[in-house]
Amino acid sequence: MKRTGIGSWLLILVLIPACFGQGAADNDPVLQAMRSEMERSKTELKLEQVPAPYYIDYRVNDIEEMIADAAFGAMRGDFHTRIRFLRVTVRIGDYKQDSFYREGEGVGDFMPVDNDVIAMRHQIWLATDRAYKAAAQALTAKQAALKQFNVEQPVDDFAKAAPVQSIEAPAKLDVDPRPWQRMLRNASAVYEDDPLIQGVDAQMRFEAITEYFLSSEGTIVRSGHNDYQLNLAMTTQASDGMRLDRSHSYVTANLKELPSEREFLDKANELAATLKQLREAPIVDDEYRGPVLFSADAASNIFADFVGQNVLGAKPPLGQPARTRGAWATSYKSRVLPDFISIVDDPTVASADGHSLLGHYTVDDEGVKAEKVDVIESGKLMNFVLGRLPIRDFPTSNGHGRGRLPATPPGPSLGNLIVHSSESVPAADLKNKLIEICKQRDLPFGYYVDTLGPRLGPRLLYKVYVKDGHQELVRGAVFGDLDTRAIRNDLVAVGNDVYVDNRVLNIPHSIVSPSILFDELQVKRANANKEKLPEYPAPPLVSGK
Amino acid sequence: MKGSVILALTGIFATSCALPAQVEKQDTLLRSMHQELARAQRELGKLDPSPYFISYSVRDEDSEVAAGTLGSLVSSTHLRRRAVDVVMRVGTPELDNAHGENRASAITSGTLPLTDDPDAIAHVLWQLTFNEYRKAQQAYLNVKTKTQVNAQEEDTSADFSKETAEKHTEYTELAPLPGQQALEKIVRDYSAGLKPYPYVYSSGAVVSSQRAKSYFVSTEGAQLVAPSAVVRLVIQGQTRANDGMDLMRVETFQSESLDRLPSETQIAVRVKRMANDLKALRAAPVAEPFDGPALLSGRSSAVFFHEVLGHRLEGHRQRGEQEGQTFTKKLNEQILPKFLNITDDPTQRVLDGTDLSGWYEFDNEGVAAKPVEVIKDGVLKNFLMSRMPIKGFSSSNGHGRSQAGLMPTGRQGNLIVTSSHTIPDSEMRQKLIDEVKQQSKPYGLYFEDIAGGFTLTQREAPQAFQVLPIMVWQVYPDGRPDELVRGVDIVGTPLAAMNRILLTGDKEAVFNGMCGAESGSVPVAAVAPSILFSEIEVQKRKHSLDRPPILPPPGFENASAGGHR
Repeated sequence: MKRTGIGSWLLILVLIPACFGQGAADNDPVLQAMRSEMERSKTELKLEQVPAPYYIDYRVNDIEEMIADAAFGAMRGDFHTRIRFLRVTVRIGDYKQDSFYREGEGVGDFMPVDNDVIAMRHQIWLATDRAYKAAAQALTAKQAALKQFNVEQPVDDFAKAAPVQSIEAPAKLDVDPRPWQRMLRNASAVYEDDPLIQGVDAQMRFEAITEYFLSSEGTIVRSGHNDYQLNLAMTTQASDGMRLDRSHSYVTANLKELPSEREFLDKANELAATLKQLREAPIVDDEYRGPVLFSADAASNIFADFVGQNVLGAKPPLGQPARTRGAWATSYKSRVLPDFISIVDDPTVASADGHSLLGHYTVDDEGVKAEKVDVIESGKLMNFVLGRLPIRDFPTSNGHGRGRLPATPPGPSLGNLIVHSSESVPAADLKNKLIEICKQRDLPFGYYVDTLGPRLGPRLLYKVYVKDGHQELVRGAVFGDLDTRAIRNDLVAVGNDVYVDNRVLNIPHSIVSPSILFDELQVKRANANKEKLPEYPAPPLVSGK
Repeated sequence: MKGSVILALTGIFATSCALPAQVEKQDTLLRSMHQELARAQRELGKLDPSPYFISYSVRDEDSEVAAGTLGSLVSSTHLRRRAVDVVMRVGTPELDNAHGENRASAITSGTLPLTDDPDAIAHVLWQLTFNEYRKAQQAYLNVKTKTQVNAQEEDTSADFSKETAEKHTEYTELAPLPGQQALEKIVRDYSAGLKPYPYVYSSGAVVSSQRAKSYFVSTEGAQLVAPSAVVRLVIQGQTRANDGMDLMRVETFQSESLDRLPSETQIAVRVKRMANDLKALRAAPVAEPFDGPALLSGRSSAVFFHEVLGHRLEGHRQRGEQEGQTFTKKLNEQILPKFLNITDDPTQRVLDGTDLSGWYEFDNEGVAAKPVEVIKDGVLKNFLMSRMPIKGFSSSNGHGRSQAGLMPTGRQGNLIVTSSHTIPDSEMRQKLIDEVKQQSKPYGLYFEDIAGGFTLTQREAPQAFQVLPIMVWQVYPDGRPDELVRGVDIVGTPLAAMNRILLTGDKEAVFNGMCGAESGSVPVAAVAPSILFSEIEVQKRKHSLDRPPILPPPGFENASAGGHR
């Protein structure tokens, strides 16, 4: 049947707005499949002598991913995939005490990528059946385990939450990887100018994820987001064998924010140049105690580790009375930071300082609307980021329950952790302040940390000399006492600059941080083994590129 | 769990056809491998201790995989990679870093650039080589100390055998891969074949197509280049009986290329039979523990021999201090009835028109494959040898095999059982009945199909085997029809089982599969006639108690038929 003319144009016009409304949800085969199975599971799923579920949810993530990496100027891997994961949670019992425990925490599986409703329903049907049976066993196991403990202040197992309906456009991965692969090749060719570079790797990882969520409480969500990553990593050794690494990641939710080829190559050359400087840099002295200034980039790692990990409202293991699992389990309403610092976790903001934020979302993975959470107000711990697993004094979710499919159930996670200060000073003045403190204490130099590596080990660390302000790159240092006590007591000033640290690791999130000054920290020589230098030199270049 | 066989299909190398030496010279990868190897040998040779052997092996592979269920695509992946293994031996062939439990110190693996960039290839090889040297020399020092401190080992064989360095270069252009879309269509079509059956709870089809070029160079002067291609199709269906027992049927197909798979109609017939088998199985009674006469089909016998005997004839198992060494001291002794011969012959490519998956020309240590007569007239004569010598066997017979990233050990290729005491296959059932009557047993067992199994060869575990039969029938002496039963496991110890073989059928059946052990997953074939045992012991299989799904499958909501409840 073929009909052309004005009629079909009208039809298209009618359909277009529907793409972003409830109509689109009705036509979405994934949501259709989820709804059909939810309908009958809600009403019919029941074994004799096992209570019917009081809550069911389905999560589906449709993931498209492009990964490629280049080493030494040549492509080494190239991978493109599309996959759909499913996770089903069935809870029996009630909000006070339910089956969410061990095997009762949900069942994961694959889902077909074709939009065949019956085939998709089949997977949901099997997973729901498994999850219900697992829930029955988990509830019994949980009740048995609880008999061993005397629980003083019982906390509900599941928070009530208002149903949410939110249908956004699905995500697409609409990128030609070839120009990006050329960038990776060219950037990883920097080793050609420096025979002492032992390893160089440039990687891209582009991802589009459409998330679907449906619960028996009436919540229905579809959302789409992208993340784009470019990573550079290089390694060398100093002549004494010390391992020296540099790396840089560009992570963004918006393709347009990725660097140009020129910028990417410049960054590669800059990393190579700093590796060369590091090889020639002196090793730090035995011990230093005094002021240390962290760039906003370096400071973001400190906030991620000491604040980010401790504001998660993660319920402790069964029977333990603590409020959370973190270091601040007993610090509610206590001072944990200087009083001029406040920190929020706000997934509702999409950008900061002109950079897209990876921790932006509107509804979390438990179908709860994302909320801005004032975790630290004037230095005091006032709140936690929470999912629907309540903790003592915090009975409801604030829309921070997230988890990566298919393996993990959602749990409290960071969105956009944003550090504010009521007394920020121009970032440029912080160096003067550093020198000032050194002068007061008769120290010939202070330290400036430009970049941190894994486990907060400094990668680019400079001595800043009091007499003329010049900087000297040093290597081989660690911090002796950088911990939650130090950020509470020794953090003395905050800059007015902003670094957006987008992190994809496990659950995408962002840390937005200014530069910070500590008036006293220990910087000492790392007690690390020095590797031997390569037994023989790198191969001579033959291609004459 | 050592040596489990999992049903799957397997690779065959493409037709040989050597080209002139110019092609070799134009092969950047091969040239870079040679150059870096020479440099490593020269430079590391100046050190103490120094390596006496280095090899580079590269598997340059291009593969496509698609998976589907109920006519719908689940995943579709294209992967191209160049996997490289650097193997190094420090010390002397008599005692080196790979001694005893330090075997893994002789290998470092990585991936090479995909393009023929000589500088990039050389840099990665260099990195892997000096890292491997560090690992090897440290292990060597430990080995030396340990041998001085510990009591003398039972088997004082050298650690590495002397072999001829093979040179063999093939540059046959392989046909292009079928493409993702072709594979996606295949899995959609075949997985749809199980859609009409509500009692087939989970099912799926996976097809993979791979072509590869394998390179091997060593400081001994070996140089091997060989292309290979394989297509595998696996279709699987699963149901659950009302008592919770999961029941599975699997069909696998393999060939060198897509157009050589069985026809669509033939495969569709097999898929339909899977569905019927599953229906019959879920209705079948659970078998009782039994000890009595049994007939194994050729396919079942092949799996039985692979598990029960084959793994115990792998050379390295005769010297490991942790190994049970069932057959180590039985050399030249009768371990099977006189009428049975067993040869492992990787050089046999096809048997009666069926491709054998264990076919290869050179093993993963660069040694030419050889047929090995392990059992002659029932007497144990030989073992499947890699370059790890054992007492009485100082050289390899081309059975050193591994998957990329793991150290090769003696493994099976095509294990072929032949018999001189045969009767026509058509008379085997009657023979079983005769034996049942003679032993005054209520019935005998016929094992039509066995999915695979596992064998424990380590000392701390009982020296037992277990195979996983799928289609087992009780055969009655009184003329009643055979009855399908489920939940049967064959158990027992290898030496006892072997001596209860009475006679065999006259047709050889082929089981192609992937075999997993310490050195990874390698393609193997087992070939055997049907076999009558005077006694086989079976036990009840442990199974889950989960009920079948509570609700009917989607699409069958209103049909109370299908027997899912």
